[in-house]
Amino acid sequence: MSEIAIEAAGLRRTYRSRIGWFRPQRREVEAVRGVDLTVGNGELFGLLGPNGAGKTTTIKLLNTLLIPTAGTARICGYDVVRQTREVRRRIGYVFGGDRGLYDRLSARDNLRYFAELYGVPGREQKRRIAELLELVRLDGREHERVEGYSRGMRQRLHIARGLLHRPRVLFLDEPSIGVDPVAARELRQTVADLAAAGTTVLLTTHYMAEADELCDRIAVIAGGLIQALGTPAELRHHADGRRVLEVEAYGVNDARLSAIHTLPGVRQAGLEVVGAAQVLTVQSDAGIDVQADVLRELAGVRLGRVTARQPTLEDAYVAIVNRVEQRSAAEAVPV
Amino acid sequence: MMDLFRLVGTGGVIAYRALFNWATPAMFVGTLLVGPLFQLLFFAYLGRQLQVADDRFYIVGNAVLAASLACVFGGTMAVSNERRFGTLGHVLLSPRSRTAVFLGRVLPYAGNGLLIAVSTLTAASLLLGLRIPLSALPGLLLILAVAALSCGFFGLALGAVGLRLRDVWLVSNVAVALLLLLTGVNVPATDLPTGMRVAGQLLPITHAAEAARRLAAGDSLAVAAIPLAAEAAVALAYALLAATLLKLFEAESRRHASLDTL
Repeated sequence: MSEIAIEAAGLRRTYRSRIGWFRPQRREVEAVRGVDLTVGNGELFGLLGPNGAGKTTTIKLLNTLLIPTAGTARICGYDVVRQTREVRRRIGYVFGGDRGLYDRLSARDNLRYFAELYGVPGREQKRRIAELLELVRLDGREHERVEGYSRGMRQRLHIARGLLHRPRVLFLDEPSIGVDPVAARELRQTVADLAAAGTTVLLTTHYMAEADELCDRIAVIAGGLIQALGTPAELRHHADGRRVLEVEAYGVNDARLSAIHTLPGVRQAGLEVVGAAQVLTVQSDAGIDVQADVLRELAGVRLGRVTARQPTLEDAYVAIVNRVEQRSAAEAVPV
Repeated sequence: MMDLFRLVGTGGVIAYRALFNWATPAMFVGTLLVGPLFQLLFFAYLGRQLQVADDRFYIVGNAVLAASLACVFGGTMAVSNERRFGTLGHVLLSPRSRTAVFLGRVLPYAGNGLLIAVSTLTAASLLLGLRIPLSALPGLLLILAVAALSCGFFGLALGAVGLRLRDVWLVSNVAVALLLLLTGVNVPATDLPTGMRVAGQLLPITHAAEAARRLAAGDSLAVAAIPLAAEAAVALAYALLAATLLKLFEAESRRHASLDTL
């Protein structure tokens, strides 16, 4: 058995589209621009990136739904373009969201059908389905139609479906999206248990805490390229030499945010809406205390808690992604 | 081999329950049993009024046609509803044979169509007083089964086309209207312009209706065998077309990301 579960070399994917019939306009989007990746057997690997970074396209290239424009990829040693049947026997695919299940069927019948599709032998199906329903804690509700399930229950059923044929590699594409905190914690536990049992997991998520807690290694993808790769601890170094100031505020506008951006020592500033409040996060050089300057720029704005802290994985991620965005913007400026 | 039978049989039945929009009792009775019967009565009374053909012509022809609604729309739903539920990607990730997966889905719809055709024929015969020789019944059942299967494969081919179209129901509605017009069920094929008559020969139902009429008129199964064989050939052609289109679109989707796989 190969030590490598997933390997990709120079993986590229360009989408070509045409709009209009009489005067067609053709567009090309390079979603993935040369991804190199190696994931070992039993590893829990995170793929993080902003929307449109190329995460889902990369997964679709690896799970055979798409053919790469260039480059190669292998799953458990099998080529994803030429040996699709062998690859499909060894992979499971779970994505977040409400869709992807037959709403009119019960959980059990959904699993029965996919057990047929994924080639689970008839004599094994009943036992396997019961095992999985118990694993994802849907036993007792398995005869109810899926249309009445909550998002969390659906998500757990997605996972059960992905595991029916005991895949060696499991692709989890934002599995916890829209799931409540309790269900998300249960889901994380399930994923951790799977990895502990030897399943290779490739996880994409927008939740840094989730990636930090679960992943052995993380790759940050942006602009269709892997921008950083390492353990969560290694990735945090991308925010080394920085400190972070968080300010809870009510009514920060774009002009004030722009002014904060230009303060001496400020590397990054971002605004996030949390409930009724805004959370302003300012990353600055570790040697410069920007708190007084920031608060001066916020004069007249109602403020809540002000906190200075060490950078987290999320800050490192923001630093990496922003660096890419700044580079892209600089390249786009006409000379 | 047993696994293949399970995929086609058990898989087909579960997929039918998952994807057929008219599986509820109210929809089934209203749309598939009552609707075709009223349509048959309409054409039978119109035929009497216009003296184009006798009751047997309309009853037998429309009974065969009754199978088409469930089969054509069902076959379409068997593929295109995967887009609605966002399950197409998971089906395409199956390592099993696509041909077995999708052709197996047609069988429950064909069974459905057969049930509807038999019930329509029985009800209409009782209501309008048509006598069919008892000896003709097994042959009629065979013809209706082949017609239903033929319509199911035709629907599956339309469903495959629907993977690429935004609105597949437009195609299905037009197809059902064409079956009504071109298959010689309500307008004798000899009265149709040549082009329409030729087009009708390529559609399901046409040959089955002819075969069923011959049997109902007292001819032997041997006499009906030629149009029955033609109907079986049409069924096979649509099964091949559906399988080819599904393979083609899947391969194209991997190259051009042309299907809503998620």
